[in-house]
Amino acid sequence: MTNYIYTPNRDNEFRCKVPLENTEQLFVVDGTLQSNGIDAISGRADGGYALKVPKRSALERMLQIISVRRGLGSASCTNTFELGESASAKLLLCSHTLNDQRLETQENYMIRLEENSNLDLVIMQNEHENSLHDSHFAIDLAANATLKLHVVTLHGGELSNRFDINLNGKGAECEVNGLYLASGKQRISNILNLSHRVPECNSRQLFKGILDGEAITRFSGTILVAKDAQKTEAYQANNNLIVSDYAKAYTQPHLEIYADDVKCSHGATVGSLNDDELFYMRSRGISMAEAKLLQQQAFAYAALEKISNVALLERLTNLVERRLRGEFASCSDCNRQSC
Amino acid sequence: MENLIEIKDLHASINGREILKGINLTVKPGEVHAIMGPNGSGKSTLSAVLAGKESYEVTQGSVTFLGKNLLEMSPEERSWAGLFLGFQYPIEIPGVTNVNFMKTAVNEHRKQNGLSPLTAAEYLKLMREKLAIVEMDPAFSSRGVNVGFSGGEKKRNEIFQMAMLNPRLAILDETDSGLDVDALRIVANGVNKLKTPENATIVITHYQRLLDYIVPDIIHVLYKGRIIKTAGKELALQVEERGYDWLINESK
Repeated sequence: MTNYIYTPNRDNEFRCKVPLENTEQLFVVDGTLQSNGIDAISGRADGGYALKVPKRSALERMLQIISVRRGLGSASCTNTFELGESASAKLLLCSHTLNDQRLETQENYMIRLEENSNLDLVIMQNEHENSLHDSHFAIDLAANATLKLHVVTLHGGELSNRFDINLNGKGAECEVNGLYLASGKQRISNILNLSHRVPECNSRQLFKGILDGEAITRFSGTILVAKDAQKTEAYQANNNLIVSDYAKAYTQPHLEIYADDVKCSHGATVGSLNDDELFYMRSRGISMAEAKLLQQQAFAYAALEKISNVALLERLTNLVERRLRGEFASCSDCNRQSC
Repeated sequence: MENLIEIKDLHASINGREILKGINLTVKPGEVHAIMGPNGSGKSTLSAVLAGKESYEVTQGSVTFLGKNLLEMSPEERSWAGLFLGFQYPIEIPGVTNVNFMKTAVNEHRKQNGLSPLTAAEYLKLMREKLAIVEMDPAFSSRGVNVGFSGGEKKRNEIFQMAMLNPRLAILDETDSGLDVDALRIVANGVNKLKTPENATIVITHYQRLLDYIVPDIIHVLYKGRIIKTAGKELALQVEERGYDWLINESK
């Protein structure tokens, strides 16, 4: 994995040039929602936007919210998502930078999932190496609500994602998968606090990282099981693959359990490429570079494979491959050179 | 006829311990050689050194493969040049599918020969044809390389890969270990089907059993890093009956 050369192409109005099929696109520029014809979403007075899906309704198509930074300096906003009882939505949040100045972005997301609601959320971060981006997600799940969350960090200067997820009602379920690719002097951190406050909830976390250059990544995951939260099932894993001599991965798994009838586990690994696998591939004529790439792709794929939108999964898999090849990770057919 | 491989006075060690102590072996096109020998005699070391495993250090001697210095080549260059090693313990690669693995390998070979990569359809056709040689189900192609494969499936997969890459010299390291009779027959049939007057095979084995199916022209017995006996295929039967002791005593 090597650093790409950042050559943004500047156009007056940002548009994604290669939208996925069956997807509604929205643009947020420097924290401000651009005009759109979608009822469910509106700009907030103090910046950011609000998404509301009323009870027993569903967003028909996947909603892709593309947030770009193009102005100088800092931007902060608060975004809220509310899914009413038995509502469902599929969301893709992309964040990009359109110039290579130092851009600071602070985002707060307040996400409420009412009973039986269902949110499928994919976050894709692809920013240049001077960006500084803090995202804080506070997510509350009522009884039998389900959350499927993928956070894919392809590139960025100093990115920090914090997730505070509270399972507040019986039968709530959440699955969080993360992938971070870091090279050069990038800093990527993922902090996750998962609170099982009531009985009979499930959670699964899998975070995987590939580190090159002098990158530093941090994963800190806490599973908290409250005193009465019996029959909890909670699993957490963080695996890091280091492909250079100077990168550093910090990983801190925590379990804090106050109930006695639970199934919980955590595991953290930091490793390097497997020499036996590399030799086996090379003995078949696969060059060292390709063999390393195949191994990294295989490692990364486990954190992506549960993305339910097949076209999106394919696109992200390709972006990951291009990123690992050291190419600029843009969608194929797009010439923007900045996403 | 030109030699495929010519090994001269090959010495190799691992962690400072010498395992191969002067191997001499020449293989010509069309030949099948068998290397037998007791445990720890250096059979697997020889195959690993020839395939280019970096943990072994060659301290003396030379290996010429199709006129080139094999020892200067990387493992992938050896493969491109036409050398194939069938592993005694094929490696599992979770997350890399068989199809992706072999397609990458085949296309890298093609690139070296100035050929364009195979299209998906061309690859599929070639793969099905070669899978049939070892009676493997095409469904295996979407699974991770050797992941969850039985011992027999792993060995069949090795021969399938050999069929795909079409090497000039295949070294099959204990291809018979861990196989039941049916799997042994399938694997051996596969190897026999791939035999041509231009290529050659070195079969490394403990037992005479495999040599009932893959009939060698020449048998070598390896002991303590040296070849102590070279003879025709009748040697296998003698080893089966009398073990290795008489050969070891004879060589002293």
